[in-house]
Amino acid sequence: MDIDDILREVDPTFDSIPEDTRDLQALTRAWVAERSSPELLDWPIDGLFERINERIKQQIEKIEEMTGDMDPKTNFALIVIQTELERYKYLVRSYLRARIAKIDKHTLHYLSNPVIRARLSPPELAYATRHQALLHNHYLSSFLSSFPAPLQNLNDTAGNISMIDAPDLDTAVFIRLLGDTRVEGRGTDEDGAMDGKNGDIVILRWSDAKKLVDTGVAEIV
Amino acid sequence: MALPLPPGLVPTEVAFLCEMEMVTVVPRQRLESIPLLSGKTPALRPPHRAKLPLWLALLLKKQRRANIVAPPWLHSDSLKDIINYETNIDPVAFSPPPPPPMKSDGRGGARPYAQASSEMKPGDMILSPPFLPSCTQDAPSGYLPYHWLELSETLLAHAADDIPNAAEVRTLLRDLQEVRAAKMRGSTVQLEGGGGVLKLRGVGAMELAESRGFVLGVVEGVRKLGASAEASRREEEEERANGGGDEDSDEEMGF
Repeated sequence: MDIDDILREVDPTFDSIPEDTRDLQALTRAWVAERSSPELLDWPIDGLFERINERIKQQIEKIEEMTGDMDPKTNFALIVIQTELERYKYLVRSYLRARIAKIDKHTLHYLSNPVIRARLSPPELAYATRHQALLHNHYLSSFLSSFPAPLQNLNDTAGNISMIDAPDLDTAVFIRLLGDTRVEGRGTDEDGAMDGKNGDIVILRWSDAKKLVDTGVAEIV
Repeated sequence: MALPLPPGLVPTEVAFLCEMEMVTVVPRQRLESIPLLSGKTPALRPPHRAKLPLWLALLLKKQRRANIVAPPWLHSDSLKDIINYETNIDPVAFSPPPPPPMKSDGRGGARPYAQASSEMKPGDMILSPPFLPSCTQDAPSGYLPYHWLELSETLLAHAADDIPNAAEVRTLLRDLQEVRAAKMRGSTVQLEGGGGVLKLRGVGAMELAESRGFVLGVVEGVRKLGASAEASRREEEEERANGGGDEDSDEEMGF
């Protein structure tokens, strides 16, 4: 820590969230949102996961260096660092697995059009494409090939009924408001609206909540 | 590979989240700053208090390297106030959540915690629990933070000797939990109406996790049962909006 850091800490006009905390907040928020939302959310585009993975890698290298040192004092620090590393890895892993679960469930839907496809990260896109290709080949070799050719498609939309299963966007979610805003939601008997205050927890349909979450005035809990 | 858990955080995940809450500790041993992924920990010098995440505070507590300072809302007087509010002042809604933490801006005003100015700029990040200081010694008393149930349970389980009147606090917490569980059950009556938006101001994370399945099940059930009625209502509204003459708006204004 040099003198600038110290000055910054006591300067009340300075925005005091350090980058590490911001990233942890962003990661936690992304994880909670992905765990609770009915559909796959956008992959963070600001390089959040690249930063976090890089830092995890550096931390692992640091641990490897420290393990050689058998001083009891660094020993305790080592335990703390490893515990924290495991917590970080759990967050990242759980986030990725929650996304894979959604991709597995509605693979064709997420591959079906370019707008939705943009939500996947490059490795996820590769996984989804390959997974679907394997599945289709397997179906073809086991039973589809004995069907007439017009019935062999897995993504038929004939007769106004799409074969592609999509997540139900009207599923209810819990959101927390991060600022005062108006909340509108559609209901079965009547449409509701209320003036929400900072910190309110609201239950409404995901299709109504999405725009609030996208603009950042609300987060999924 | 894919996560087999149902959507929505399960109680163990909520507990994991709660362990990120910052708490105040009184160190009993010196400990140098540790470079963690979430930033450097403050160097611990007894008897200076320091703020640490709960998981680290518990680790230090187990090794008898530090004591945890119970947050002000966990004192028996504060809990009694909250129970009084929940039972007598407002028997329907939950007690309000703590006000957003403020910080002096150095010019005689106040601004939200960890935000450069009182005005929101685009791109500013707003912190939310568990990253707000709602369980440190500076937290306001008389308000339950978002992670109140998990945090108090954890502290009572692992650091009961650091909480003043632990036995009394335990009974008060149980009362509070029962009062609020009844309110949570009561709030499902509003779900039947199918009103679109339901507000649960002041609810806790664990309370949400407990009743998430039930609440979402009711909302889904009501929506599916009323789907055709809703569709016809929407069609009607659309027709009215399209053929909207003067008489329609008069009708709406009149009643």
